[in-house]
Amino acid sequence: MKKVLLMGQANVGKSVIFNRLAGARVMESNYPGTTVDFAKGRMRLDHEDVEIIDVPGTFSLEPKDRAEEVAVRMLEEEKDALVVCIIDSSKIERGLYLALEIIEKGYPVVIALNMWDVAKDSNIKVDARKLEQILDVPVVPTVATRGEGLKELVLRMNKAAPGEIEKIREKVGGKSGTHS
Amino acid sequence: MEKKLSQMKYEEKGRIKKIDQSLRAQIAGMGIREGKEVEMMTKQPIKGPVVVNVDRSNTSLGLGLADKIIVEVEK
Repeated sequence: MKKVLLMGQANVGKSVIFNRLAGARVMESNYPGTTVDFAKGRMRLDHEDVEIIDVPGTFSLEPKDRAEEVAVRMLEEEKDALVVCIIDSSKIERGLYLALEIIEKGYPVVIALNMWDVAKDSNIKVDARKLEQILDVPVVPTVATRGEGLKELVLRMNKAAPGEIEKIREKVGGKSGTHS
Repeated sequence: MEKKLSQMKYEEKGRIKKIDQSLRAQIAGMGIREGKEVEMMTKQPIKGPVVVNVDRSNTSLGLGLADKIIVEVEK
């Protein structure tokens, strides 16, 4: 079965999005050998049942604690998974760091700019379309607590494609090889 | 004036000038990188962590990390 991984930093709304998408069919489990738990569920995507996994939050793909280690390992074990990268729109810079790391690994990615309302309230404007052009992956603004944007997020999961880090670099005028 | 992040005083503001190579990757995911503005929010006693504000979000850093970050402060 195809798998969808929900990834993002801590407190960006991964679990809210998970609960919205997975509905009632949810199973909690521990990652074998650890006390880090995560939730698994099912959802319909493109007339197909897919497994959706709420991955523990991680700042980056260089793990600093057990939960982050599990997050990174889960990503590495699911080579064919589609990754929904959830970013707190009001803290977009550090969120993009993780998103770029996942894109760099070659996974098909959809980005959810969550907490869109919070960003708006604090006068942070994010140009989602421009970001989409730069990253070459779907970027969808969402307000998970109210369910806004989630329909579009699911619709656009089909269009998730692996981004190309070199192309992104060219578009933003960055130098090659500066990313560590 | 340059000083270590760990030496900043409460409510002092500065700009990150240099981060030790060994921890660059470790803290980049928290939005802390060279050129970023930081404000000291809290310092915990007995060698406890420091809390700094970067991009309107508070991040706590162990004293060991804060020792390896050089900040340019005003004045």
